[in-house]
Amino acid sequence: MNLLLDGLLVLALLWSAWRALASPDLARAVVLFIVFGLLMALAWARLNAPDIALAEAAIGAGLTGALLLDALGRLQPGTGAPAPESPAQPPANRAGRRWTGSVALVAGLLAAALAYALFQLPAPTVRLPEQVAANMAASGVDHPVTAVLLNFRGYDTLLEVAVLLIALIGLLTLGPAAGRPAAPGPANPLLKALARLLVPLMILSAGYLLWAGAHRPGGAFQAGALLAAAAVLLHLAQLLPAWASPGRLLRLGLAGGFLIFLGVAAALLAEGALLTYPPAQAGGLILLIEAGLTVSLGLILAGLFLLFAGAEERP
Amino acid sequence: MNGLLDPLPWLILLPLAWASLAFLLGPGRGGRLALAGLAGQLALALWLARRLIEGGPVSHAVGGWGAPLGIDLYADGLSAVMLLLTQAVALPLAFYARAYFAQGAGQFWPLAGFLLAAMNALFLAADLFNLYVTLELLGLAAVGLVALGGGAEPSRAALRYLVVSLAASGAYLLGVALIYGSYGTVAIAPLTPLIAAQAPLAVGLAAGLMLLGLVAKSALFPFHFWLPPAHGGAPAPVSALLSALVVKAAFYLILRLWLGPFAPLTADWGWLPALAGAGAILWGSWQALRTPRLKQLVAWSTVAQLGYLFLIFPLFGLKEPALQAGTLQAVAHGLAKAAMFAAAGILLKATGRDAVDGLAGVAGRLPLTLFAFGLAGVTLMGLPPSAGFLAKWLLIDAALEQGLWPLVAIVLAGGLLAAAYVFRVLRQAFLLAPEAQQFHPVPRRLEWAAFGLAAASVLLGLRGVELMALLGIGVAP
Repeated sequence: MNLLLDGLLVLALLWSAWRALASPDLARAVVLFIVFGLLMALAWARLNAPDIALAEAAIGAGLTGALLLDALGRLQPGTGAPAPESPAQPPANRAGRRWTGSVALVAGLLAAALAYALFQLPAPTVRLPEQVAANMAASGVDHPVTAVLLNFRGYDTLLEVAVLLIALIGLLTLGPAAGRPAAPGPANPLLKALARLLVPLMILSAGYLLWAGAHRPGGAFQAGALLAAAAVLLHLAQLLPAWASPGRLLRLGLAGGFLIFLGVAAALLAEGALLTYPPAQAGGLILLIEAGLTVSLGLILAGLFLLFAGAEERP
Repeated sequence: MNGLLDPLPWLILLPLAWASLAFLLGPGRGGRLALAGLAGQLALALWLARRLIEGGPVSHAVGGWGAPLGIDLYADGLSAVMLLLTQAVALPLAFYARAYFAQGAGQFWPLAGFLLAAMNALFLAADLFNLYVTLELLGLAAVGLVALGGGAEPSRAALRYLVVSLAASGAYLLGVALIYGSYGTVAIAPLTPLIAAQAPLAVGLAAGLMLLGLVAKSALFPFHFWLPPAHGGAPAPVSALLSALVVKAAFYLILRLWLGPFAPLTADWGWLPALAGAGAILWGSWQALRTPRLKQLVAWSTVAQLGYLFLIFPLFGLKEPALQAGTLQAVAHGLAKAAMFAAAGILLKATGRDAVDGLAGVAGRLPLTLFAFGLAGVTLMGLPPSAGFLAKWLLIDAALEQGLWPLVAIVLAGGLLAAAYVFRVLRQAFLLAPEAQQFHPVPRRLEWAAFGLAAASVLLGLRGVELMALLGIGVAP
């Protein structure tokens, strides 16, 4: 039964990926991309990786999908269904087709080589999960994924947060898009009511995810993604205006989580090395870092959507 | 041991701190902060070099766990040389940038700070996944800097750069995943003997994917197509940072992997990067001779000069001379190219347009800048006593010793071509200015920064012995 389910999942993944790439209609391609993201989240869940499943659903499918839909809205005049003469259809010339063909050939060969190589993988020599399990008591948290992300490999996470911050700064550099912002239409009253109802619940859930991260799937990234989704929902319901250039307070909010993380990392140098948590204080310090990151990551992810969103119209 | 007195983590923390504080201060602010931070970083890099000379390679176990559970930082002679180069190029460029962006630097300082933090973290990393994170930070900061030029053309160049950079990172990450799947660790030190003992097909694929991604990031011919628009279209301080340093980071990593964990797999393949390098030298120089725009000329010259770095790969039969030639070329080109882009930026500001044939008359107006351009050119051509001469000399010597005379021919031809495109600029500059030509005044500080970098690239040739002694620390024969 499980094998059948997994087989169907694999087929659906391949099909949605292929259709998303091959569809000449961009709107359909975006929807298929979101479907692909959700199926991928299911696949992660089947692989017993609920943390990745949560992140994939929230960021891979949710936020990226919303960004793609938003970009689509700017590319095409009017809203709703794409116009048939829209630039969505790529010119079907021979060079383009040959290019697609060669890319497909290379990708296919690579996939075949990968599949072949994966069936002859040896058993890993180094058994990291055992080392993680052996050191859990000293990590300050009970959930192995959180222990790896914030303690054992916390330095990677510090730099990853810098990556997210720099993505937003890059967006600030590009400035507002040259597209024409449409006049704001009347907000959908139903959406408004829904947002008023849902957003407090979403913020509450974000708080829960942050807290739960210490002992079960959850944590700052998922909580931040939820906060960002709440902000996007508020914006769609026209309860939250788009951002222009961020002011001092907003900049503090965007960089604050990173600065707390950086400060803790530097202060812990006194313990012997970067990010060396004393086991007794590890839990509290990790919670402090994660709380800061939740707010900042929420703002950064929301900023990718809200920054320079202008007075655009949403259906 | 007290971690507060270890230069390794501070080389990463310091730029991260001033970059994020500059972001807090707001657009255009943070230049002074950056100067202070960079001065501190240069001192840290010198301190690290001293430590290496006294006691050999050093490492730092982040989190106190130690690899493979935790992440280690590691510095040997090669890392120290690259770190010194990075801070030594960045500090004068920061002086330059402060004068250059008189009308507002936008997000230059935060982006530059994160870029330098990523470079330093990359040179200190000893973990394949940690290296991926530093590559991501480096790539995104570099793309943001390219977009700083504003307008449609730099934005297009930045997006193209972004796509190449992300595809390359993706290939690298896929390789890391395959390696983790094969051995269960991504720390380089334990991986090296494991790969030497047994390398299944997945590891060969991983090595290919990771090296291919890095080659695309280092803009080696024929993956150079993104470089001239990105480096040629960005503001001059950005072009200088990117051309002098960022492409070298990918090269450094290729060198590390090639000689380190992947050595058992790559031994017979050295001719491949060398072939591409030869192509880069010829094609890049040819394009530099043809382009009508000054900054494009300098950018194409980067494509050509990067080619030399890859000529060393078939010469690793004698590891140390080849490594010395490659590293010295990276250092010499780093200083010279920073100087050349800085000088080109001044000439652009003064003449008001980016054209080689608009330079007539600058010899009389901006002699110091032109002198800087010429000195940098001396290094690129490989004339004595410059560091470029020493690099090419070592390369030719190593090639002759191993009987690879085609490499010698390529190096000599490349030097002649470099002379041709440098003199193309100098010849124009010495022509009389047309009556209608107007020159805008430029701050002297800009000229001195360019001159300082150019002089360093030439004079470094006299300090080659010390540099080679530092480089030799921790290199297995």
